[in-house]
Amino acid sequence: MKYPLLKVEKLSVCYKNTDALAVHNLSFALRERESVGLIGESGSGKSSLALTIMGLLRSSAEVHGSIRLKNVELTCLPEQELENYRWSKIALVFQNSLEVLNPVMTIGEQIAECIRRHLGLNNLQAKKKTTELLLMTGLDPLWAKAYPHQLSGGMRQKVLIAMALSCDPEVLLVDEPTMALDAANKDEIIKLLLSLQKEKGFSMLVISHEFPVISAMTSRLLVIYSGNVVEEGNTQEVINNPMHPYTRGLVYASPAVNPYRDMWGIPGEATMPSENQCSFLNRCSQRIDRCACELPVLQTVCEDRRVACTRGGIVTLLKGSSLCKCFHVRFREIMACSSCDIEVKAGEVTALIGESGSGKTTIAKILAGILHADRGEVFFQDRKVSGNSETSKRGGVQIVFQDALSATNEHFSIEEIVREPLDIIKWGTKNERLKIVKEALKNVQLPSDDLFLRRRAYTLSGGQRQRTAIARALVMTPKLLIADEISAMLDPSTAANLLRLLKGLQIAQGFTMLYITHDLALAQKISDKVYVMSKGKIIGHGPVRNVFRENRSICLG
Amino acid sequence: MKSYAKKHYLLVLLAVITINFFLPRLMPGDPFLYLSVEEGEVAAAFSEEQIAQYKAYYGMDKPLYMQFYDYILKLLQGDLGYSIYYNTSVLEMILLRIPWTIFIVLCALFLSSFFGTLLGAISARLREKPADKFMYLFMVVFSEIPSFLLGIVFLFVLAAKLKWFPLSGGITIFAPHTSMLSYMGDLLHHAALPIITLTPAGLGNFYILARNSMLTVLSKDYINTAKAKGLKKWQILYKHALRNALPPIIARIFLSLGSLFGGAVLIENVFAYPGVGKLMREAVLKRDYVLIQGIFLTVAVTMLLMNWLADVIYKKLDPRVFR
Repeated sequence: MKYPLLKVEKLSVCYKNTDALAVHNLSFALRERESVGLIGESGSGKSSLALTIMGLLRSSAEVHGSIRLKNVELTCLPEQELENYRWSKIALVFQNSLEVLNPVMTIGEQIAECIRRHLGLNNLQAKKKTTELLLMTGLDPLWAKAYPHQLSGGMRQKVLIAMALSCDPEVLLVDEPTMALDAANKDEIIKLLLSLQKEKGFSMLVISHEFPVISAMTSRLLVIYSGNVVEEGNTQEVINNPMHPYTRGLVYASPAVNPYRDMWGIPGEATMPSENQCSFLNRCSQRIDRCACELPVLQTVCEDRRVACTRGGIVTLLKGSSLCKCFHVRFREIMACSSCDIEVKAGEVTALIGESGSGKTTIAKILAGILHADRGEVFFQDRKVSGNSETSKRGGVQIVFQDALSATNEHFSIEEIVREPLDIIKWGTKNERLKIVKEALKNVQLPSDDLFLRRRAYTLSGGQRQRTAIARALVMTPKLLIADEISAMLDPSTAANLLRLLKGLQIAQGFTMLYITHDLALAQKISDKVYVMSKGKIIGHGPVRNVFRENRSICLG
Repeated sequence: MKSYAKKHYLLVLLAVITINFFLPRLMPGDPFLYLSVEEGEVAAAFSEEQIAQYKAYYGMDKPLYMQFYDYILKLLQGDLGYSIYYNTSVLEMILLRIPWTIFIVLCALFLSSFFGTLLGAISARLREKPADKFMYLFMVVFSEIPSFLLGIVFLFVLAAKLKWFPLSGGITIFAPHTSMLSYMGDLLHHAALPIITLTPAGLGNFYILARNSMLTVLSKDYINTAKAKGLKKWQILYKHALRNALPPIIARIFLSLGSLFGGAVLIENVFAYPGVGKLMREAVLKRDYVLIQGIFLTVAVTMLLMNWLADVIYKKLDPRVFR
């Protein structure tokens, strides 16, 4: 292992005027020639970290912890000595904006003054070096005489890079290098930085909120939330298989990662970091009581991956292992499914796709405990599922079937259908049950007045019946909803409304869904993970984008 | 310069000339009344015929628009006319008096802008510290004192009581000056009180402007960039910050000439200083239309020139202003 070039340990930054904690107990190391990415929403403390490393927040913030460059402790250096380190050892490619460069000085002057200051060259030599730097970034040296406002955004970014590299720093901090640039310019800047790194051998800390940039430029990734690192690991692996709910939320909100999927941001607002609770608490869909009383620390959960989560990262809600089911029809044996492994993670929509007769519904029924598997076991929240152990309680598993017309008794009134599960488990008083029923109906956009409640089910349309069935599942406030082709018998508009509704409920209540469908387009649109089934076997699984890229022929065939 | 800017200046000049012509004529009384009255007397010594003759001589018997036409025609030839009361060329009179005014105005301007900017910059660096707060309060209060009031106080205390400075005039009359140096010293001695009276109002303005301008600039991203580059403190302050803070201050220097001149008119009369301001008061008292017009016009044209100069310099200082 190479000796770390820059080592940040237990760094906390607290702004004096607002008492806002921008960075909290943050540690990381940057090795020689390494590129580390730092991703997080705006306001997560990314830029504060860069400014702190440069020692620019000294007057406005309190900084605790240590920042070491090789063996020099930067936080202890007096201001005047720090000035010698700035730019010559650690340089910062500032976030691109019109005012980041001095408007009344020419580009050349602004680059040359760093060279004169740190390298001790005279005017003529500095000018020559400035020309070289501009050429290096692919700018015509004539631009040295231009003023910042005369440059385009992409050119200004190049000037910022040339300026940062003017004194050959060992560490380059890059703050949002491609923000507000078009695709072509973005690509050019990324390539430029990578080739310059190869040539000059500096280490890079890339700060960005864009996954494509981080993915292209870095090998290791830190995910930062409210000033805390919540996940750390290999860049590609973190993006492909996020293990912290926050990382997952970021990945899923990025259309660049998931071009087909609907965009859903992480609900809620970031809160101030606190000493004794998880800062992601209010936005997390898998929170438990313990999350509110302790601050999770970064722990290794598997090789090369560390996650700060009280629950050890995203939990696996439902797990079926080597499930087998054989149906005996007269003299034939039909293997509906054989040694199928399936995992559903909390807060995700997992799609199970495959042609009709591939065994999807069988698996769904086994997972819900309706059907008993010949072999294999099902675990829900690490509890073994047997019979209706998980379906007969609130906060468990619920299943909604494909054919709502036969799944709901047409002679029941709407109220009776939706209330039935509560009646069975004898939950609450009559009034309480009615309240919940009405709420569930409202949630699925059905009327909840007495007239509607008294109507018989046969008076409803197919779509209304399906939504009634969903309401029936929702009164049990399930953690996991297994939805078997629930939109197949609906017209496109009703189906779209229903699916958006479920997704909205998922975002709001944080429940998890296993969605079974043969509709590939739909699966790409709504799901996070995909399992592909064919002839009773699971033949592929993973993040939607990967599965559809790798198994295109299988899926379409 | 863009052509629309030229048009603007021309238009303003025309408006100035027009107002300049009509304004003195709206005042009650006319020059010949004062011409005919001896100091301290009320009854006119001139007969009706004499006045009519004078009026005809100065072209004032013609209708107003004809007088205006004649005035413009003469102006185009660079002729400001002859003073009715003093009977000498207006241009000569103004040229004789204006250096005095320019001298005290420029001195006051230099003092107030230089020290105002300096103190403002210092104050901005010491932001929120007691020194800054005290300076701010002091400047705001100090600059609100009317300059003529200050002038009278100075006159009583520094000139009359302590006798540090002469009471009035621009130079000691009939004093034998053996060298250039003693002549200059005498000039300065006379000008000192008018100058220090004129300075405070501008000083406060420049201080507040410079402080604000510096504070704005110091919070900009490029100052952070400069700090990150490891530049020395003075380099950041003078090379990066002051250069950005300066344009509005420079503009104010030129634009404050107007108010400073207004102040000078009052101050010159307080100290009986022989500048244009004093001449103007005399001209107004005597309803000497021609002289009034001449002075007003000279002053207005000077102001316009200064405005134009401010424009030009502003563009030189700030490359973002479209050339």
